[in-house]
Amino acid sequence: MAVSWLSRLAAQSSVPVFPVRGIQGEAALHRLTLTPGVELVDSPRHASILLVAGGVPPDQHDALRRVHDQLPNPFATLWYRSEPLAELASATRVDDPDALPGTLMTAHQELMRGKRGSSPRLLPDEPPNPWEGLGDDGHGGEGMMGGVPYGRPMAMNMHDDIRDGLTLDSLTVTLGPFLPMLPPGLGAKVTLQGDLVQSWITQHAPYPIALESVFLEAREHPVPIAELELARARYHLQRLAFALRLAGLERLALESLRLAQGLSPDSRLEGLRRRLTRCGFFRLTTTGRGWLDETLARRVGGVAARAAGLEEDLRSQDAAYGRLKFTPVVQSDGDTNARWCQTLAEIEQSLQLARQAEREGLYSETTEAIETPRGPWGEQRPGDASGVIDDLLPGLEWDEAMTTLASLDLAAVSEWPQDVTQELGEAPGDGADAAEERRA
Amino acid sequence: MIVNELILPVILVTIVLVVGAYLVAVIDGMIAAALGTPQRGGAWLAPLTQGAWLLTQQANATEAPDWRAWRLAPALYLALAATGLAVVPFSPTLIPTDLVTSVVLWGSVEALATVVIFLHGWSANTLLALIGAYRYVALGLSYILISMFVLIGVALPAESLQFSQVVASQEGLWNVIRQPLGLPLFLIVGLGMTFWGPFNLADSRDLAGGTASTVSGPSRLVWELARAAMLVAFSGVAASAFLGGWLGPWLPGPLWVMLKMLGVLAVLLLLGRLLPRVQPERCVTLMWVVLLPLSFVDLIWAGVEALL
Amino acid sequence: MDYPLIVDIFFLLLATLAVVSGWRVFCTDSMVRASFFLLVSFIAVGVIMILLTAEYLGVAMFFMMAVEMMVMAIFMVMFMMNPAGLNPMMMVHQHKFSIAAGVAIFVVLGGVALLSEFPDNPLPADLDPVASLGNELLGDSMLIFESAGIVLLTTMIGVVVLSSHRGRYGAAEEGSMPPGLEPGGDPAGMPEEGDEGGHHHCH
Repeated sequence: MAVSWLSRLAAQSSVPVFPVRGIQGEAALHRLTLTPGVELVDSPRHASILLVAGGVPPDQHDALRRVHDQLPNPFATLWYRSEPLAELASATRVDDPDALPGTLMTAHQELMRGKRGSSPRLLPDEPPNPWEGLGDDGHGGEGMMGGVPYGRPMAMNMHDDIRDGLTLDSLTVTLGPFLPMLPPGLGAKVTLQGDLVQSWITQHAPYPIALESVFLEAREHPVPIAELELARARYHLQRLAFALRLAGLERLALESLRLAQGLSPDSRLEGLRRRLTRCGFFRLTTTGRGWLDETLARRVGGVAARAAGLEEDLRSQDAAYGRLKFTPVVQSDGDTNARWCQTLAEIEQSLQLARQAEREGLYSETTEAIETPRGPWGEQRPGDASGVIDDLLPGLEWDEAMTTLASLDLAAVSEWPQDVTQELGEAPGDGADAAEERRA
Repeated sequence: MIVNELILPVILVTIVLVVGAYLVAVIDGMIAAALGTPQRGGAWLAPLTQGAWLLTQQANATEAPDWRAWRLAPALYLALAATGLAVVPFSPTLIPTDLVTSVVLWGSVEALATVVIFLHGWSANTLLALIGAYRYVALGLSYILISMFVLIGVALPAESLQFSQVVASQEGLWNVIRQPLGLPLFLIVGLGMTFWGPFNLADSRDLAGGTASTVSGPSRLVWELARAAMLVAFSGVAASAFLGGWLGPWLPGPLWVMLKMLGVLAVLLLLGRLLPRVQPERCVTLMWVVLLPLSFVDLIWAGVEALL
Repeated sequence: MDYPLIVDIFFLLLATLAVVSGWRVFCTDSMVRASFFLLVSFIAVGVIMILLTAEYLGVAMFFMMAVEMMVMAIFMVMFMMNPAGLNPMMMVHQHKFSIAAGVAIFVVLGGVALLSEFPDNPLPADLDPVASLGNELLGDSMLIFESAGIVLLTTMIGVVVLSSHRGRYGAAEEGSMPPGLEPGGDPAGMPEEGDEGGHHHCH
């Protein structure tokens, strides 16, 4: 009796969801963040539902299984526009973003009321290496350090400290591809000394990001500049929301997402900017770390390049933008702080351009070279730039490294537009059709 | 005698701790809702449903954790919060533990909290929890120092290390006015010690929950409860050390203490929602370069005032 | 003396705890566990001191030992990232010497406990132990305690300075060079090149 009373109460709680951010799953997660009753959590241990949003490449299925098995019982899995793992025959699959919150809540309630069994464990529950301890208390080998009872050597100080000369033992770990603080899909081998990043070797590039379809159309035919600029502002606002959430500014992150959701040429950024400055985001959280020199900044492109003082914006080649008297905004410092100042300035500029362009009904003219929010798309799409962080992150503390990563937009641009039922291996024609339907 | 010296204090501390922790969750939920976080259901029910969910969730395991320390740490943190609350006087006669060195006992609660938080992160045997634990220890010492200097400041006019005497010494003028630097410094330390809001460096988002990133189910419930309870204990000490404890017109003493505690809690929780997380290195600089010298100033101020 | 039976019971429990956790210090296989077992032992002793109405000393024991053990664990663990004691370590060395030293100290302390005559002066009823301790610390013995405190502080600062590569004129491994007396001049206070005959590798 008592138990059923407890589970009935538990069924009413907000649904703790751990999102695995797959390919093209971000848009649905932005919507979920604003949905009452759903809470996106940072650790699989804190969730009752594993939501796989977007496709996961087959070579990362093992990592997905490990994340899956980290959820404590009872838990359920939900697959949003993603093919469930073969072992999970009865997994729920959702493709309609509007149905997602409802399905999540139903799944949670059914779990709590015992109407749905917990998802089965996929991997055997055993240490990755067999126990190799010797002796009474597992000291293992000889001497002070003992042996390697879990097949893992002791963290040893193999590296000199790169900051203050206090040499600590270095610990090497593999992170990603589903760590919520990293860009989706980014996997890395990281050596840490305390919380200081000693070395960072990117092993998997982040998943390509999908831009709104208007950017892909702009490559083919002239599109209204107002639409283009609003999509750009929306993209930046969503990135800003991620960084703000990471900085513990949940309310401003939500404000930023709401602004992105209802963005129109009349939207104003002043309120958000004022609150951001007042609460000390630029003084307490972002600092003059993560500095990119010109070469690295050019490799990343887009906001990062302009924040480092490179006046590179393909919009200045477009005659229509020339009529709007467009000149690129630039910052000089090239660090995390400058990148966020630049992002805010570009959002404001985009809104202003959208207002002007809407009044004058302007269309973009150049189709060979367009400036996407991720960077310039001239000859080829902006490619993966995650290589730069291997040089950038060593020497930073964990928090600084994460703040720097959030301020950098590194993923390649996908060849498919956003919000299209696009799966790995599915014929590209289907995707294009769906995009047509959505616009119709 | 047993009733007065043992049973009554235990009941009093338990009730204040449980109700206080619940109110922390409710007030925090209300502030979040007012600031625009989407909410389903009322703020009054949300902590209960969340707690019920954690009770139904299984406590998980990591690979080869230090089981004893891992399971004990949340309970020990809760016990420390209870010890801290036990030295708060609710009226001249209603004092759970009227130790002559209760100010020092509170100091040792702060010191032992460092140990417990470290153990919680260290014993899980995972990277992010370990980093959270180290971060707290790196900062914990500065929290303890600032808090001790500020509390010595309030002990000076009282000429006693006993919280009831400290309250009694504020009969004429509350310490919040007499030593204007004291309360702000103490509140900052409070946010630091319960790693709340801007000083949430041990259980922060960039560590996916830090020391709590790998705990689930009942032990996570106890850990979160203990954090809220420590915040309650902190507000109790702040109310007695700076806001005159039970002193106040019209209402009975214990009620005044509770009201002042609620006020302190509301301020702390609001700050927690409004400010971004301070970067660890910046936080170390802030503590040692700005706040610690300020606490010296506070102490000198208090000393000069006591001499005059 | 007149005190309730419960004090005896608590004394026995705490004394057992202190001894058992003190013994565990030497049986455990991780530095962190060893430090915190030692902390438990000290806390038990601190509570016994409170039972002996040495209230200030007992409570001071808690926070002194908490910080001390934490710093100890940090100095060991930070230099040795071994989360959750995953890799067991041998915590006892020099067995013969330490056994001999342990036995000798036990005999001496046991002898002191059994053979010496403890004073039996009932405390005056109005004695305030905290105030009298304060008078002792900051009265006649003030010079001793204050100078000991300052010596300890300078030692700590010295250790930090010595263990850091970062010097006044730059990082140690780059070879710190003081600035010149005039802008752009030779480093001040440095011996002339060749004074030592270029024997840079001599020890």
